[in-house]
Amino acid sequence: MNPAPLTDELVLEQLRQVIDPEIGINIVDLGLIYRIAFADGRLTVTMTLTTPGCPMHDSIAEGVRNVLSGLEGVTDVDVQVVWDPPWHPSMMSEEARQLTGTRISN
Amino acid sequence: MPSLAGFKAASVRLPLCFVLVGVLSLLVGAGFLLAQPDLLATYHYSPHLIALTHLFVLGFISSIVMGAMYQLVPVTLQVQLYSERLIKFQLGAHVIGFAGMVFAFWNYNMAAVGWFGTLLTLGALLFVFNLVRTLATVKGWNSIKLGIASALFWLSSTVLAGLLLVATKFWSFSTFMPIAAMHAHAHLGVIGVFVLMIVTVSYKLVPMFTLSELQSERRAWWSVVLLNAGLAAVFAAILRQSALKIPSALLLVSSLVLYGVEILAILRARNRRTLDWGMRYFLTAIALLIPLSALAIILCWSGLPVTAFTMQLESVYGVLALLGLVGLAILGMLYKIVPFLVWFHSYSRHIGRAKVPALGEMYSVPLQVAGYWTYVTGLLAVAAATAFSNQMAIRWACALWAVSLLIFAANMARILVHFVRPKVSPLTANVPTTRKHI
Repeated sequence: MNPAPLTDELVLEQLRQVIDPEIGINIVDLGLIYRIAFADGRLTVTMTLTTPGCPMHDSIAEGVRNVLSGLEGVTDVDVQVVWDPPWHPSMMSEEARQLTGTRISN
Repeated sequence: MPSLAGFKAASVRLPLCFVLVGVLSLLVGAGFLLAQPDLLATYHYSPHLIALTHLFVLGFISSIVMGAMYQLVPVTLQVQLYSERLIKFQLGAHVIGFAGMVFAFWNYNMAAVGWFGTLLTLGALLFVFNLVRTLATVKGWNSIKLGIASALFWLSSTVLAGLLLVATKFWSFSTFMPIAAMHAHAHLGVIGVFVLMIVTVSYKLVPMFTLSELQSERRAWWSVVLLNAGLAAVFAAILRQSALKIPSALLLVSSLVLYGVEILAILRARNRRTLDWGMRYFLTAIALLIPLSALAIILCWSGLPVTAFTMQLESVYGVLALLGLVGLAILGMLYKIVPFLVWFHSYSRHIGRAKVPALGEMYSVPLQVAGYWTYVTGLLAVAAATAFSNQMAIRWACALWAVSLLIFAANMARILVHFVRPKVSPLTANVPTTRKHI
């Protein structure tokens, strides 16, 4: 049987299982995932956090590694946390905004 | 061992020990007030009330502030803590020191106060040394670094001033009035350490928890600079019983106005509409700076008639400052810090492997709300009953306030259950509905 092909959606669905413990929303709907790239078994996730110096930095990055390392065909997971562009609530999904009572300031 | 935010902060156990010591001291202090409401009904220059004040200031407030700073400084300034080993020594010196001081004050044994105070001072200086070495690795200066560095300076000054106060009981080298010196010492500690810490951490934590940003680094910087200048002036004016008390107090109040303007600007720019109850505790505490500033100006006025009522206003000022401003701010921040510490200890390694609770699911929000209202109502009732020296009213008001503390302790216990018995469940399977090849 052929394994399911690795897709953006498959990776994002996996990442939805990683919850930001402070906000209580998964990191995909929070808009923290910027880019996903896959080559030669290496899955690279470029992401950010809601604020520099976030105390959950290591935990969330480790959670991303944990949740993706079990995917078929993935031999290595590289998590790159970047601050440019800085995260903004406009990156959240509509559902996440409603759940957190978040508005978008001008 | 995992680190916090990529930086080597203290292990979770040591800050939790400080927090536990703090919460226990608070409960014991509340028990004393319930048993002896006369302490607040009479003028505050008495050994028993001084003992109780030190139980609140050193046992409750300082313990929690120190435990929190070991965690918050590496996080807010993104540096590694200089030494974890020093924390253990400091914890021992701090607990033995303050417990001995409280006992010695209660029995008015000033020699013992001196010995235990020296031990406490050694512990406090270890704390200062550890954080100064940590701060030294931060390049440049911003309002947060300036605020923390200043608070460390004032902490050293406060404990040394306290020792000098004790020494004057044995060697009469001081020309200052004892009550004036005690008031100056108290302002040095409460404003220099606690208010400055509240102001400083606000500039990082309020934006963090409300999804906002610091709106003006310049305004934040000037608020810290003016707070330092105002405190130095107020300290000298109180000590010398000078007519410059009001201008000095106004200088200090101007820094708090700048602080208030910045906090309002941060809140207006926030993206998280709903403020959680931890933030409401904290912001209510900050709002108490308004009546406290007004009361400070009134008490500075040289034309204020000296009556039993106006003397009691000094106790009201102390109650609102310690149990109101600082106490409520600490309780609000503990609803952020303790769940995080316990979560980090129990769940950090499970994230992405199993379903773990969010921080807000580790305690009861209805209890938190009930605790807020009983605390605020109890505090205002204690302040009013103290103003009128009504012992029976003080006892009932303290009982209401103590109920809020029991509610708080119950909620903290719920959080600590996660430390002993983590609640981990398997991840639910996800099936994607649409697929696009990477």
